[in-house]
Amino acid sequence: MNSEAPRIEGRIVAAGLTKVFGQIKAVDDLSFSVEPGSVTGFLGPNGAGKTTTLRMILGLAAPTSGTGTISGVTYAHLPAPGRMVGAVLEATSFHPGRSARNHLRVFCAAAGLPDRRADEVLELVGLTQAARYAVHGFSLGMRQRLGLATALLGNPRVLLLDEPANGLDPEGIAWLRGLLRHFADVDGRTVLISSHVLSEVEQTVDRVVIIARGRLIYEGRLADLEGASAGVVVRTPNPDQLSAAVASLNVKITPRADGSLAVVGATPEAVGRAAWQAHVELHELRAGSSTLEETFLRLTAEPSNPPGPSA
Amino acid sequence: MIDLLRSEWRKVTTIKLGWGMLLGALALAALGVIAQIASNGARGNIALPLSDPATQRSITASAGSAYLFSVVVGIILITTEYRHFTSRPTFLIEPRRGRVIVAKLVVAAVVGIIYGLACSALTAAIMAPWFAALHVTIGWISNGVLLSMVGDLTVIAIFAVVGVGVGVLVRNQIAAVIGVLVYLFVLEPLVSIIPVIKNAYPYLPGAAGAAITGASRGNLTHLDAVQGGLVLLGWGLFFAVCGWVLTIRRDIL
Repeated sequence: MNSEAPRIEGRIVAAGLTKVFGQIKAVDDLSFSVEPGSVTGFLGPNGAGKTTTLRMILGLAAPTSGTGTISGVTYAHLPAPGRMVGAVLEATSFHPGRSARNHLRVFCAAAGLPDRRADEVLELVGLTQAARYAVHGFSLGMRQRLGLATALLGNPRVLLLDEPANGLDPEGIAWLRGLLRHFADVDGRTVLISSHVLSEVEQTVDRVVIIARGRLIYEGRLADLEGASAGVVVRTPNPDQLSAAVASLNVKITPRADGSLAVVGATPEAVGRAAWQAHVELHELRAGSSTLEETFLRLTAEPSNPPGPSA
Repeated sequence: MIDLLRSEWRKVTTIKLGWGMLLGALALAALGVIAQIASNGARGNIALPLSDPATQRSITASAGSAYLFSVVVGIILITTEYRHFTSRPTFLIEPRRGRVIVAKLVVAAVVGIIYGLACSALTAAIMAPWFAALHVTIGWISNGVLLSMVGDLTVIAIFAVVGVGVGVLVRNQIAAVIGVLVYLFVLEPLVSIIPVIKNAYPYLPGAAGAAITGASRGNLTHLDAVQGGLVLLGWGLFFAVCGWVLTIRRDIL
C-alpha cells in the first residue's frame, strides 16, 4: 500500500524493508508509513529490528531488499539531509573526550551551519551549563539531551529518535513529551520515536508501528489498538486440545500469568463454538480486558519460546 | 567539501589525542637529534663527524620518526568514529560517504605535514645553536639537509593517509594501531631476512619510507629517495582507495 503513496513532504515510508545478517532475518518485509504532523511510536521488544530499520531508512545500512524513503526519496538522495532529517540512534554517538559544545560544532561545520547554532540547541535541550564539559562525565539523561541537540542542529522537518526517553527522569520525560508534541502539533514536523516500553511513550504518541522479530505486528492509531486486540480469555484443563480446536480460526494463543490462555484474533462466540464442537472442557470463557501494556506484550511475545537474546 | 574539511579538522583538534600524538612525535624527534649529536665522536661510535653531509642528513632524519605518530593519527581519525559511533551523525549529515573519506584523507595528510613541520622545526632549533657552539657549519642546502626535511614531511604525510586506509580496513582501533606497529617493527624486518621474499622488502611501506628519510635500516639495498617516494605514494594511494571503496560499500555501524 505504501509504494504507490503520494510523495508527501516529510513523510517516512518503509516499503518491504528486509535486512538479512548471515542466517538471521533482522527485518522481514517491513512496510509502514509515518505522517507529518504526528508523533509515531516505533515499538517492539529489544532485538525486534527497530534500530536496524532506522539505520536502513537513514541510509547507514543497505537493505537486503525493499526501500526506505523520506519525502519520497532515499536518504542518500535528499538534497540537504542535515537540514531535512535529524536522527539519534542510541545516545552513544559522542567522543568521550570532546566537550558538548565542540561535539556540536564539529557537526555544525559539516552541515554548513553557523557555530552559534550549537549554543542555540544546547539552550533548547537545557545543557548550556554543561557546554564546556567533556561528554565522559555526562549522565545518560544528559547524553540523551545532547543526542537530541545534535539531531536538532539543522532544524529538521523530520525527527527519528531511537529510545529517546531511556535514562531521562520523569521530569525529563515530561519535557521531552512537550517538545515532541510541539514539533508535531505546532510545527507540523514528522516525529518517529522508538521504544521497547509502550508505557514510556503511551502519552506522547498518536500512532504506533509495532514490530516483533522484524515483522510488522500493528500499525495505526494507538486508540484503536486496545479494542482491536483485547482477545478472548479461556481457561481449560486441556490447552493442547483447545489449541487444536481453534487452529482453523487463525488465532494466536498465548498463556497468561494466571494459567488461563489469551486467544487473539477471534470472538468469544467463535472460540466457544470451536471448543464445544471439539468437546474441549472450558472453565472460563470471556472477552479479555487488558491494559495497553499487556496488549503490547502479548502482541510482541515470542510464539512459543521465551524471549530470545536481544541484539 | 570545505565544510567537511572544517568538520574533520575540528575532530582532530578538539580531542586530546591529536595534541598528545604531536607531543610524542616532538619528543621522539628531539631524542633522536640529541642522542646523535651528543654521542658523535664518542668512543665506539662509528658515525662520521658532524661536519659530514651524511651525518647532518641522518640527524635531520630524526624528524622522520614522526611517521609512527602520523600513521596512528590517521588510524584514530577513522576508527574513533566507529568506536564512539560518531560515524552515525557524520554519515547522516553527509550521506555521500566518499566525500567524507576524501575529507579525512586530506585532513590526515595536513595533520601529517604539520607534525612533520613541527618536528623539523624542533630538529633545526636544536641543531643550529648546538652546531654553532661546536663551530660546525650546517649545509642546509649544500649538504641536502633541507631536502632531507622535505622528504621527512612527505613520508609523514603519506603515512597519515595510509593510517586512514588501515583504519577503514580494521575498524577496531586497538587492533589497527597494534597491527600497524607490529607490522612496521616485526613483520617488515622479518621479510628482510627471509630468503625468498626478501627481494620484495624495499618495496614495502616502511622500507620505502626509510629510503626517503635515510633512516638506518641495516645494510639492506634500498631504493633511492625518489624511487622510495614513488613506492610509498603508491601505498598511500592503495590504502586511500581501499578506504574509499570499503566505506561506500559497507554498512555504517
